[in-house]
Amino acid sequence: QVYTINLESRYLLIQGVPALGVMKELVEQFALYGAIEEYHALDEYPAEQFTEVYLIKFQKLQCARVAKKKMDERSFFGSLLHVCYAPEFETVQETREKLQDRRKYIAKTTNQRDCFVLKKVEGPKKTVLKNSEHDHPQTTSGSCAPSNWDPSCFTSSHGLSHNIGYPSGNQSRLTFPQYDNCAETSEYVGQNASLTLNVHPGGHTPPTPLTQQRTVPIDNGVDRFMPRTTRLQERKRKREEGNKFSLIGTNADNTEVIIGPQLPEIPKVDMDDDSLNTSATLIRNKLKEVADSVSRTPVEKPESSSAKPLVKQRRRI
Amino acid sequence: MELGRLEYLQALVTEFQVTDSPEAKEQVLANLANFAYDPKNYEYLRQLQVLDLFLDTLTEDNETLVEFAIGGLCNLCLDKTNKDYILEASGVEPIINCLSSSNEETVMSAVTTLMYLTTPQSRQQTTALPVVECMLRFSLSASRRLSNLATVFLEDYCTPLQVEEARNLSKHTAVGIPLPKD
Repeated sequence: QVYTINLESRYLLIQGVPALGVMKELVEQFALYGAIEEYHALDEYPAEQFTEVYLIKFQKLQCARVAKKKMDERSFFGSLLHVCYAPEFETVQETREKLQDRRKYIAKTTNQRDCFVLKKVEGPKKTVLKNSEHDHPQTTSGSCAPSNWDPSCFTSSHGLSHNIGYPSGNQSRLTFPQYDNCAETSEYVGQNASLTLNVHPGGHTPPTPLTQQRTVPIDNGVDRFMPRTTRLQERKRKREEGNKFSLIGTNADNTEVIIGPQLPEIPKVDMDDDSLNTSATLIRNKLKEVADSVSRTPVEKPESSSAKPLVKQRRRI
Repeated sequence: MELGRLEYLQALVTEFQVTDSPEAKEQVLANLANFAYDPKNYEYLRQLQVLDLFLDTLTEDNETLVEFAIGGLCNLCLDKTNKDYILEASGVEPIINCLSSSNEETVMSAVTTLMYLTTPQSRQQTTALPVVECMLRFSLSASRRLSNLATVFLEDYCTPLQVEEARNLSKHTAVGIPLPKD
């Protein structure tokens, strides 16, 4: 089982609580690991006989993490508890904050200023010159208030503040409106204002040199991990090229209507050998034939497949 | 201790590359993906080219391997160096392809990874029209986790214009099965 930020949550589901009216004791036990925001029994949730299921919402994800680790498979009033995360109880806002917190955590621990684009800019690249017409009411002020969010990150690779000197014409215009919005919602008005002043006097620097400059500082890093180019990888790359165009390129034409999530194309494998290629082509064509003949059914149920693309029960952790 | 950790990770990578057993591969990949959650390990993982390993594994047939690989990427892609590396290695396309997976965890990791990989330079790719369209559908999913993620994507990483465009696309193409005309 792989733990990602999506699986974790401030919400914990506790199963196997003996139905002895021990809610208070249960909550007290969990409260040892951190402040609890809410808790209640989940009467509708399937439970084994004589047991109850509870939902406990911690104020902080880290506390939930520790509590889960310690309390899972622990005996409680003679019954074995099973504790798992319950991200499905999150609201959109809570999910958003969870993702943002992870961002902040990484930025902090890696001492980097992470650049992320939050939608505060109206019409990002093309209408760069228009300073944000609408200020999007950002509900999460937390998203731009972190003390380690440094606007200079747009021009730096490792977020070192000396990179403010970068010519960042386009970039600065792009980011300028963001700072305005940021200034409204964050306390770091002074910092932002002064930094935008620094960054602003960039000319009309076209984006290309900027990209090039961006890659320069991390060159030594790239050298160290030059991708292996095995044959398998080469084939995969070619495959990916094909997929890329199929997914992104041709959609613009709209000749083919994409209704469901795009199914991956049958990869065109180049076997580097004529006879093998011929065989591969024959097989591929055959597959295509077969696929076409049954294509009506799978193609026509895109809605159902996309509405619930995920029929498998998730294993709860 | 640091040396021990590097050697351990190296052993994992080697195991992954030499073993034939799918179960062993899955086990090892899960371990690596979990290691990718902790920034302390990033330097080692880069050294051992684990980022490439994750990216390459995205195109495997084994669904579980894909799930773990995209999970690993999701875990480590916020780090600036890793992010740049993934973008440079044209990692966005295979990640977008993961959106079509029938595995819920894979899809969710892919959505989150795309969010985290969005920069002013990469947003053209990560918020391309087909992607936005996909997110629109996901936002209507019965799965709360998925719809939440998709909603955050649409609200925070796409402009209203992009969302509108994608919405119009769906309208004109009659999403859903058209009823047979009598």
